[in-house]
Amino acid sequence: MPKWFTPAAAICGLMFAVAPVLIANAPYESTMGLVQKIFYVHLPSAWMFLLAAIICGVASVRFLFRGDPRQDRLAWAAAELVVLFGVVTLVTGPLWARKAWGVWWQWDVRLTASLMGWMVAVAYLLLRRYGGPGSDKLAAGLALFGMANVPFVYISVNYWRTIHPTTNVVPTLPASFGLPLWFSAVTFLLLFVLLLRVRVRLEEQRARLDALYLSMDA
Amino acid sequence: MKLLAALLVLVGLCAAVTAPALEAQQPSQPQQQDEFVPIDELPPQDQLPAAPLLVAAYSFVVLALFAYVLSVARRLGGVQRELERFEAELKRSGRT
Repeated sequence: MPKWFTPAAAICGLMFAVAPVLIANAPYESTMGLVQKIFYVHLPSAWMFLLAAIICGVASVRFLFRGDPRQDRLAWAAAELVVLFGVVTLVTGPLWARKAWGVWWQWDVRLTASLMGWMVAVAYLLLRRYGGPGSDKLAAGLALFGMANVPFVYISVNYWRTIHPTTNVVPTLPASFGLPLWFSAVTFLLLFVLLLRVRVRLEEQRARLDALYLSMDA
Repeated sequence: MKLLAALLVLVGLCAAVTAPALEAQQPSQPQQQDEFVPIDELPPQDQLPAAPLLVAAYSFVVLALFAYVLSVARRLGGVQRELERFEAELKRSGRT
């Protein structure tokens, strides 16, 4: 593991300990009250979900055009994080919506596109696990669809009718709401980087083991 | 002419029979509100407390992240052990 990993993990742990204090001290939103505090984990996990989908897509493109196995390992690691942060987003969202909107789910563009993006990542992982030889390139193609879906998820709330808040909410947040949000977002980003590094390390070790097995057979 | 009269009678009869049924199907007007009811006085099935939803959301985040970290650590440990065992075996057989 790189030298920065352990200090970064310690900082991340510390930030995860401080974040609940900031969130608890944040004011209640006027119409939603207590349940709005789900926002501080829902939004950062949604950002990580989209970031992971972009990393998976870009790494897949580079793998398809250059055939670099390191990019393939990065794409695989990122696809797992799409599933992880996607499931966090898709579970915390409905828990918030139940109280704020009165329904668990709405088939609007943002929610549906998010679910689709998550399902693409699940399909990617299933393909890598059970697809057999050649599944790496097929899965890379699938990751492109996952990445192409990201702008739809992001801008959909501004163009289609929905009860989901628009993208204008975050830039106009008062500091009392903004500070815990950005702190939480940085914490999630740090965790994301650490998890991605560990997951890539797992693939590197697997590749090393495979190379050893092949050298044994030769 | 007789046919027209019969038709008119028939239409009249139909209207007489279906009118009460249609009237019964009309959505009833919501009752005018003449008082505000505090939320804690609502019947339990109409109240939706936020705390359990908030606790569920945060618990899910912690559990999901913890489960993933545990899963990656377990998989990495397994591969690392197999790698060490394999390398030791290769060293013993003098192939490296």
